[in-house]
Amino acid sequence: MNSIWAEIGAVVRKEALTEMRARNGIATSALFALVTVVAIALATFNRTIDKDMASGLLWVAILFAAVITLPRVMVTEEEQGTADLLRMLARPEAVYWGKCIFNGCQIMAASFILSFLFFGFTHVGLESPGLFALSVFGGSMGLAGSATMCGALVARAANRAMLAGAIAVPLLLPLVALGVSGMRVAIGPIEADFVYDAGVRAVIGLDCYGIATLAIGVLIFPFAWKS
Amino acid sequence: MEKLIKYLKWLFALAAAAVTLWSFTVPDAAGFQQPEFARVFFWHFPCPILGTILGLTTGWFSYKYLATHDIAWDVRAEAAVELTTIFWLVTMASGILFSELEWGTWWQWDPRQTSFLLVLLIYFAYFALRGSIGDETRKASHSAAYYLAALGPTLFLIYVFPRLHQIAESSLHPTQSIMQGQIKGEYAYIILATLALASILSAWLYRLRVKAGLLLLEEPSYGNLETNRSDTAHPPVVRPIRVPDESRE
Amino acid sequence: MIAVESLGKRFGDRWIFRGISFELGRGDRLIVLGKNGAGKSTLLKTILGLAEPTEGTARLPEGDPRNSVGYSSMDMTVYPFLTPREHLDMAGQLRGCAPRTDELLGRVGLAEATDRLSGQLSTGMRARLKLALAMQAEPSLLVLDEPGAGLDEQGRRVLDLIVEEQARRGCAIVATNDPGERRLGNLELDLG
Repeated sequence: MNSIWAEIGAVVRKEALTEMRARNGIATSALFALVTVVAIALATFNRTIDKDMASGLLWVAILFAAVITLPRVMVTEEEQGTADLLRMLARPEAVYWGKCIFNGCQIMAASFILSFLFFGFTHVGLESPGLFALSVFGGSMGLAGSATMCGALVARAANRAMLAGAIAVPLLLPLVALGVSGMRVAIGPIEADFVYDAGVRAVIGLDCYGIATLAIGVLIFPFAWKS
Repeated sequence: MEKLIKYLKWLFALAAAAVTLWSFTVPDAAGFQQPEFARVFFWHFPCPILGTILGLTTGWFSYKYLATHDIAWDVRAEAAVELTTIFWLVTMASGILFSELEWGTWWQWDPRQTSFLLVLLIYFAYFALRGSIGDETRKASHSAAYYLAALGPTLFLIYVFPRLHQIAESSLHPTQSIMQGQIKGEYAYIILATLALASILSAWLYRLRVKAGLLLLEEPSYGNLETNRSDTAHPPVVRPIRVPDESRE
Repeated sequence: MIAVESLGKRFGDRWIFRGISFELGRGDRLIVLGKNGAGKSTLLKTILGLAEPTEGTARLPEGDPRNSVGYSSMDMTVYPFLTPREHLDMAGQLRGCAPRTDELLGRVGLAEATDRLSGQLSTGMRARLKLALAMQAEPSLLVLDEPGAGLDEQGRRVLDLIVEEQARRGCAIVATNDPGERRLGNLELDLG
C-alpha cells in the first residue's frame, strides 16, 4: 500500500493541471466576485454600508460563490464520465482530501479577491486583518469540506446544480453565523478588549467548525463516492 | 389478539380525550398575557422531546444502513425521519401560535425560532435529496450519509446555538422554566400525560409506516401460480457455457 | 480467482439481471453477450463494486482491487485536459505501482501521441489509452466493456494480444455485442 500523501498529491496535481488548462473554476469565481460586489455597490447606491451589515453581506457573497462553484469539482467527474476511472484508481480518502485541498485553496483565493473588491468598492475599512484572514481560512475549510461531500451526494441526481446548493447551505449556516460574528469585529471599530475577545472566540469557533466539517466529511464521503 | 388491539385503540382515543379535557379544567396559568392560551404549551413541550429522540434514532438507523447495507434499515430511517419532521413542524407551529398570543407577533426572528427554522431547512434538504435519487440503494446510502453529516449541525442549532451567551440574552424564549420549577403540580402531570400519549401515537405510526415501507419493497408474489416473469430479466440462475475450442476459429 | 454468486440488480421494480453465478480460474476468458440494454455494463460494474448489487455477492481477486483489477469501458472517459503520459503517471502514483508509461503507450500504439491532450485524441486512441490504464498494474482480473468499439484493425490486434497475455496471468471478462469478439473467450454468458 503506497502512502496516502502520494495519492492525495496525485489528485491535487490532476485538479491543478485541469484547472490550469481549462481555466473555468478560478475565472468564473473571480467574475462572480466582481459581479457580486458591483451588485452590492449598486444596490446600496454607493453609500457607505453599515459595518454590521457589511460583514453579513460579505459572508453571504462568499457562501454563494462557494456553493455555486465548488460542487462542480465533484459533479464534473460524473458528467464527463471520469468518475469511474478515479474510483478504480484512488482510495476515497485520497479523492476527498485531494478535492478538499483544491476546493479550499480555490475558495480561499476567491474569498480574498471578493473581499478586496468589496472593501475597495464599499469604502468599508478593515481594522484587524489577522482576524479577517483567520475567519476566511476557517470558512474556506468548512465550505470546502461541506461542498465536496454534498457535491458527491448530488453528482448523479437529475437536478444536481440546484440540489447541491439546497442541501449544502443549511449545513453551512451555523458556519456563516460564526463567520459574521468574527468578521464584524475584524471590520471594527474595536472599542474595547472584550469586543476583540468575542471576535477571537467566534473565529476559533469557526475554525473548529471547519475542522469538524472536514473530519465528518472524510467519514461520510466514501459512502457518497462509492456505490 | 385483534380484539385486544381494537380495545387498545379505543382506550387510546379515550385517554387522548380525557387528557384534552383535563388540560382545560386546570386554572389558567399566571404570569402570561393571555393566561387561558398558555395551554398551547401542553402540546408545544412534548414535541421537541420526541423530535429529538426520533431524530437521534434516525441517525442510528442511518448508521446501521451504512454498516449493513440492509435496505430494511433505510425503511426504518425513513419512517423515523418523517415522524421527526412532523414533530418539528408541530413544535414550530405551536411556537408561532404562542408567540402571537403572548408577544403579539407571529414571527420575530427570535434566535430560537431562527435556529429551529434552519433545522427544518436541513430536514427539507434531506427530503429533497431523497426525492431526486432514483436508484434505491444509492438513495438509501446517500440520504443516510447526508443525515449523519447533518446531525452535527442539527444538534448545534437546537442545543448549542440558542444557549450561547450573547444569543440567549436576546431571546424571549424561556430556557429553564422547568429546572426553576415554574411548571409544577397539575401542569407537570398534564405535560407528562401528553408526552406519554404522543409517544404511544408515534410508536404506533412508526410501526405502521415501517410495515407499509417493507411491503412496498417486497416483490409481487403470485402464490403457486406460474410466476409472471415479465418484470424479471431472466430465469433464476444464469451460468456461463463453455465454448469448445474447435467451434472457434 | 473470482466468484460471483446469484448476483442480481434491480432498478425500481425492474430486474436488470438476476441469479448470475460463475467462477473464473486462471486462463478463463468470459464473454458476456446480450443486446443493447440487456445489462452487460451494469453487470460488469456490479461485479467491480462500482454499482451496488440488489442481491448476491461478487468476490474479487485478493489484494488491493486497484492493483488486482483492471477495467476499461465504453462509458468511462479519460480526463480531457490531461495527456496520455500524465494519465499513466497519475495512475501509477495512485496505485503505487511502476507507471511503465513509455512501455504501455508503445504497446497500445500511442507512442506518437504521448503529450497530446486526451480531449484532442480520436475515440480509438482514447480506447487504447484506457486499455493501457487497465493493464498498468498487471491485474489478475481484466474487465473490458465493449473494448473493440472505435478500434481499427491494428487496434483489434492489440486487443487480442492483451487478452491473450491476460489469460496467462489471470482471467478476463469481456462484454460485447460484436459477434467477432466471441473469438476472445472460452466461456460465454448470454444475458439475452
